[in-house]
Order: sequence, then C-alpha cells, then structure tokens
Amino acid sequence: MESVRIDGSMGEGGGQVLRTALTLALLKQVKVEVFNIRAKRNKPGLLRQHLTCVRAARDICDGLIDGDELGSQRIVLTPNKVKAGDYHFVIGTAGSTSLVCQTVLLPLALAGGQSKVTFEGGTHNGMSPSVTFLQEAFLPLLEKMGVKTRVEVDALGFYPAGGGKWSLHIDPCESLKPLDIDELKGSQTSEHGLLEDRLSVTAMISHLPVNIAQRETETVAKRLKLKSDIGKIREVSTPGPGNSLIISYRQNGFSNVFEVVGEVSISAERVAKRAAGRLLKLFNDDVIVDDYLADQLMLPMAVAGGGSYTTTKPSLHSSTNAEVIKLFGIHGLKIEQVNKVWRFSLT
Amino acid sequence: MIMSKKTVAVSMLGTQLDFVGKRVDRWSKWRPNISLCSQQDLVIDELHLLHDNHSTRLANTVVEDIAAVSPETEVVLHTINFLNPWDFEEVYAKLFDWCKKQTFDNETNDYLFHITTGTHVWQICCYLLTESRHYPGRLIQTSPDNNKESRSVGRVQVIDLDLSRYDQLANRFDVEHQEGKDFLKGGIQTKNEKFNRLISQIEKVAIRSLEPILLTGPTGAGKSQLASRIYQLKKMRSKVSGDFVSVNCATLKGENAMAALFGHTKGAFTGAQSARDGFLLSANEGVLFLDEIGELGIEEQAMLLHAIENKSFHPVGSDKTAYSNFQLIAGTNRDLNQQIQEGKFREDLLSRINLWSYQLPALKERVEDIPGNVDFELDLFSEKTGQRVQFNKEAREVFLDFAQSRDASWQGNFRDLSSAITRLCTLADSARIAKADVLEEIERLRNSWTQNTTSGQNTLLENHLSDEQIALLDEFDKCQLDYVIGICSQHKSMAAAGRSLFNVSRQQKSSSNDSSRLQKYLAKFELKWSDIVNT
Repeated sequence: MESVRIDGSMGEGGGQVLRTALTLALLKQVKVEVFNIRAKRNKPGLLRQHLTCVRAARDICDGLIDGDELGSQRIVLTPNKVKAGDYHFVIGTAGSTSLVCQTVLLPLALAGGQSKVTFEGGTHNGMSPSVTFLQEAFLPLLEKMGVKTRVEVDALGFYPAGGGKWSLHIDPCESLKPLDIDELKGSQTSEHGLLEDRLSVTAMISHLPVNIAQRETETVAKRLKLKSDIGKIREVSTPGPGNSLIISYRQNGFSNVFEVVGEVSISAERVAKRAAGRLLKLFNDDVIVDDYLADQLMLPMAVAGGGSYTTTKPSLHSSTNAEVIKLFGIHGLKIEQVNKVWRFSLT
Repeated sequence: MIMSKKTVAVSMLGTQLDFVGKRVDRWSKWRPNISLCSQQDLVIDELHLLHDNHSTRLANTVVEDIAAVSPETEVVLHTINFLNPWDFEEVYAKLFDWCKKQTFDNETNDYLFHITTGTHVWQICCYLLTESRHYPGRLIQTSPDNNKESRSVGRVQVIDLDLSRYDQLANRFDVEHQEGKDFLKGGIQTKNEKFNRLISQIEKVAIRSLEPILLTGPTGAGKSQLASRIYQLKKMRSKVSGDFVSVNCATLKGENAMAALFGHTKGAFTGAQSARDGFLLSANEGVLFLDEIGELGIEEQAMLLHAIENKSFHPVGSDKTAYSNFQLIAGTNRDLNQQIQEGKFREDLLSRINLWSYQLPALKERVEDIPGNVDFELDLFSEKTGQRVQFNKEAREVFLDFAQSRDASWQGNFRDLSSAITRLCTLADSARIAKADVLEEIERLRNSWTQNTTSGQNTLLENHLSDEQIALLDEFDKCQLDYVIGICSQHKSMAAAGRSLFNVSRQQKSSSNDSSRLQKYLAKFELKWSDIVNT
C-alpha cells in the first residue's frame, strides 16, 4: 500500500495536521504516518480529543492503528475500505464534537451508503467550530457540492461540563462537485433594511444570568448600527453553565457564522465586540467567506478536484492545511492574493 | 501491537473540596475529583472513590459529573468509615487493609493515588503505602489553575516516589555513596576490585544497619581503622549519637573482664571502691568495637549475647538491669568456627554477630593497592612530623618492586607497611629516600619476617599438631617442619613439593623419588600429605 509521511510539527503544528491527514488517508486509501504530533506544544502528543479523532478514523474503516495512546507523538493508520453505517463517538473533557465530525464526514459520505453518526461531548467550546457553525455555514455549502446531510441536536454542551449530544445523518454521494462559492454572493448593501433581513444575532445562555445575553445582543446591535431588538436570547439547558454569542450572516443558501463563547474573565460587551468585529471585517474586505470557513472548505474542494472562493487574510492554519493536502498528491491548490483579498482555488 | 495500559486511580471523596452544592455553578468551581477526570492529557479509566457512609449522596453527584465530563471513566465507589480521620493509626490500618484486599496488576494497569482530598493524615498514609509499594503506583495531585480558561479543570502533577528515576537525585546519591566509600578507605585510592566491592557493601551497611558487623582478617589488615571509620561515617550521617568505644578483648582477662565490659557497683568485689559504667554502657547509642573477640571468655560471651539481643544486662553485683543500645562491631583474626569446635567460642554468639561478616584481605592479596598506601603513609608521616619526605624515583621503584613481589610476605600487613615507611622517612637524609635506604629497609623487613617464622609462632605447625605434640618437639624440628608444611601447602602434588624441598640433593641421584622422601619425613611426625593439603 502507498504510504504518506507527515511531519506533525509543520506549520501551525496542531491537531489540524493530524485530522486532515487522517481524513485524506481514508479517502485516498493510503497508509499514513504522522510523526512529531503537536511536538512544539505545551503538552505534546495526542490529547484526549485527538485520540478520539484517531480512533474514530480507525473505527469507520476497521483499519489498523499504531500509537493510539495519550501523549503519543507518532501514529500510523493503515486504512481499510470505509464502511457507511451507524457510529457513536463520545469525547471526554467537553472536547469538540465538530472536529471529530469533520474527520469522518467526507469519508462516510463517499462510502456508498447511508450513515448516522452520533456525537457526545462539547458542542460549543469556543476553541473549535460549533455545531451551529456546521449547521449554518459548512454543511449547506457541502450540500451544494453534493453531500446531503441532516443534523439532529438533542442537547448542547459547553466547556468544561460537556453533555452535548447530536446526530448527523449522511446520504451517500458518488463524488463531490466543484463549487465557485463567490457566485453565491448576495448584494451587499449598507442600507439597514436589507442587511437586517440577512442577519441574525443569537445569544445562547445556560445557567447564567440572562442579562449577560441581553448585554451581548444590545452591544452587537449598537456596534452594527442595527435596531436594538434584533438580538434573540435563547435559553438552553445544559449540564454545566455556558454562553455563546452567534452572529449569522445569510447569503444565497449559506451563512457566515461568527461565534464567541463567553468566558469567566471576559465581559459580555467584549464578547459582543469580538463577534461584531469579525463580521465587519468580512464586510470591509468584501469577501464571500471568513477565514474560519475558508479553512474548513479547503478539504472538500480538494476532494471535489476543483472550486474557488475569496476570503480575508488566511491564517497559518490554512496554509498548513494546504501543505498537508499537497503531500497526499493533490496539486493545483492555490492561495493567492488578489488586490486586497485572498483567493483559494483548485483547478 | 502493544496494548496500552489502563490508568487506575484511587481517591478519597473530598467532603469539603468536592462539595460545592448541587447547583449548576458547581461547574465553575474547582473540585479535585472532577479535575482529576477533566484533563486533556490524562484519562482515568477506573476511579476507585473512597467515601464514608455519610457522604453517599455527594459521592453519587460526583459520579454523575464525572460521567458527563469523562465518559471513559468507570467510577467504583467504596465505603470506608473513619471514626477519626486524623488518627494516624486508624487511617493507616484501614487504608493498609484496603490495599491488601485489592489485586494489583502492574502489567496491565498504571496506578495512581490521588492525594489532594482527605486529611493530611490520609495523605501521609497514601505516601507511606505508595513508598513501601503496598500501593504499587505513583501519587497524583490536582490543583486549581487560575490561568486556565476554566478554573474547574485545574491541573495535575504526577509524583513518582521511585527515587532512582530522578537523575539528579540518583547522581547525588552516587556522590554521597562515593564520599562514604572514600571515607571508609581513608581517602586511599584502591584498585583492588574485591576490596572495593567489599567497601561498597560496608558503606551501605554502615549507613543502613544497626546489626552487629564482624570484621575478620589477618592482624594488621586494618580492622580497627575500618571500625573507627564506620563509626565516624555513621556519626557524619547522624546515624549514631553516642561514642565509639574500642576494646581489645585480649586485654580483658580474668576477674576484671566482666566488670570492665558490663560495669560493677561499688563494693561488688574486693577492690571495687567505686562504681564503674563498663564499656557496654559507655557505648550507649554509639558503636562498641570488640577487637579479637575470640579472646573473650565463655561467660563474658554469654553475657554479651544477652546484651546484644535484649539491649540490657546486669552489671557485676547489681540486681538492677542496665540498658544500652549500641551497635557491635567485632574483629578477629582467628577462625571462630574452629574455636567453636574446640569449645572456646559460643556458636550462638557467632551466628548472632556474623550477619554482616567481612573478611579484610591481607596486604599481599592487595598488591595493586600498595602504591596508594605508600603515598598515604608518606602523607601521614608529614602530617605527624611536619616534614615532607619523598622517595627519589629509583628508590620508589625498587621499594614498590619488592613490596609487590612474592618475596614480600607482609606478615604484619598494613602495620608492617606503616612501620617501613616511618623508618624510611625517619632515616632519610635531606627528606629524600634514596635507593640505599630502601635496600636497607628491604633487608630489615626480610629479617623480621624470617625471624617470625623461625623463632616465632610456628603458626602452620599449630594447624596440624596439637599443643602437646608441639611441646615434645625440638626447636630444630619445629622450624624445619613448619617450613616443610609451608612448602607443601604451596604445591599441588607431593612430587612437586618434594622437588622443591630436595632441590639440590635430588640432582645427584640417578632416580629420585622426592615424594617418597617427603612422605617418610612427614610420617615421623604422624602427618600425611592429605592432612596438609586438605586444611
């Protein structure tokens, strides 16, 4: 079997290198060795959430894995054919369920059968995309590329208590279609009427004073010069307390989602300003997707073998991701600056 | 593929720290047992949570919360009730029993003892049981971490009590051992491997053991020096607080022996005008060195055995028991086993004192250490007299050649070497020892050793003939026979010994039968070749 070796400490050097490598190994059915995993981090090697991803990748293909231990800095995955079906992944320490989902989603979609994957753990933990982000931003675009999915959320889970649970139903698809996302761009106008129709501001709150959520939505409204009652407060029930502010900006069939999770030492106003600031950056740069979404879309685009989109200045995360994709023999992925914006494309 | 080990932790439910109410905001508080299970880089596969029967509800809440935050963890609750959790005896006993009941499998599991909850007494017990390997694992400590985005997660620290795992500590111990060994050797560089191994072990025993030590070896091999250094090393490492009392048992003869060793009361016997403590009492909390213990009378031996075993004895003339806790170091150049056979030494005493038995080699068995000891003696002389004397190069070579040759028997061992150097230094002109001085000294040494064998004790003879038999021999025969036995014991066969003994006369004979001549000679004294070779 063909094999690919990946230096896990390259570029951004975190868990993303590992996850992209696992997904591509499953898709391309090649053996992958990732070494120096998170070598330069404070706690090097696999942490619990990474270990769950590694084992999830193994589980859906019934493959062989070496080095799946906490703290391990080297793993070797020898995949078998990916099998569609029902899976259940549980992640401790309120680890991100979305990241595990991201690892197994495309391989399962292309496995030629219906799948249902249930995730338990954290849904909105602040350090990684939330389930809301998947639902509103990522999955709609994926559907346009041919992957049909449905999300069922049973419970949300904040850090550190966790307790979130949701399922993803994946319909099989033959192959992914290239997509030029810039074509989906809606007319952007600064006139309030139009903008307000396409914006939603939601403050989720659980077991915390409601005024936190109020202050967040009011500050966002002020900041974006929107009417003050645009925000919605959504009281949710989770095992532990939590708060997340989510701004969604809808365009043709998908949204850019900007979310900031409330933390003990950060005021509600600052949470709001951070989220609003990221939306304003998208507006100012006049691009179709923000850097977070741009990063997530790279892998589907690589699998589809084509596509393009514009974004704000890419993070180190994105360029590292592109490097890993190249190591799996997918060439032609370009990240180039065009005037003030960056354009991701694959031809 | 290697199966990774499961991580199994034992912890006490923290009735204070784990309890922050049942409200949801408990998640924003740091709780040790939750923290233990919330780590990104540690999965507790099994948590044995100990709690008392009043805290069952709290325990159940903690179990639920651990299930939420760490679905991998299986929590097993154990009820253990302490009447007083600050009572060391009770906590230790109950925890000890609990550990005894568990089956530990270090092949498949990694064990951790979580010490953050519970009383300080509980923590001490965790530490003791882990250190003594009754709990074959490591300690783990959780603590809140204000820098983390969530205080409740905190952080953990694993503490391994296996000292050998710590390079720096191991190095320190090595240095300390080395210092101890150097000290015992009196700072003399020794190259004799056997001797160095011996010292390494004595160093450990000196530091760790309070049991009697038996030093055997020929006279002058350094038994008393070593005993004194063992004491000083113990003193340096605060293992003893009392004094070093050194007694040569050969000087304790007759009536006074008992009183000298065990003390007496005033008027215990004629001439006992005042009370006396005795050596055993003087050595209390210290070290008692009994040199030439083989010379001790049978009665004293019995008393001594009793004193070692019970740390108590009765002074002469007293009905009051005296108590003394001393470490005994015994020295002897005799074969105590043989003395036992002759009824001169108590077997039970020997078996009590030879737990740590060390035979110091004679100087001629350590020829590679002679140069080091020569330097040492030279230093010692200059220290004593303030005069620095040195060999010239040639003289040193000649002396060392002789000292390390087979010709040098070093009967008096280090004592002889020391005397030789003292004489050389004293007689040397202008602080230089010349070749002529050395040659003279060699002659002196040779003379003293031959004198010893001729006029001296005929030591070999004593091994083969009884005192009565020897008494019937002429001096002439004694010397000759002693020499013959000496030669015999150096050869493997009677023929070889004969060749060496009749080296001149045999050449004149056409057919020599050396072994038969030797056999006839020995027969005159009722000796057989096999008697000599087998002893």
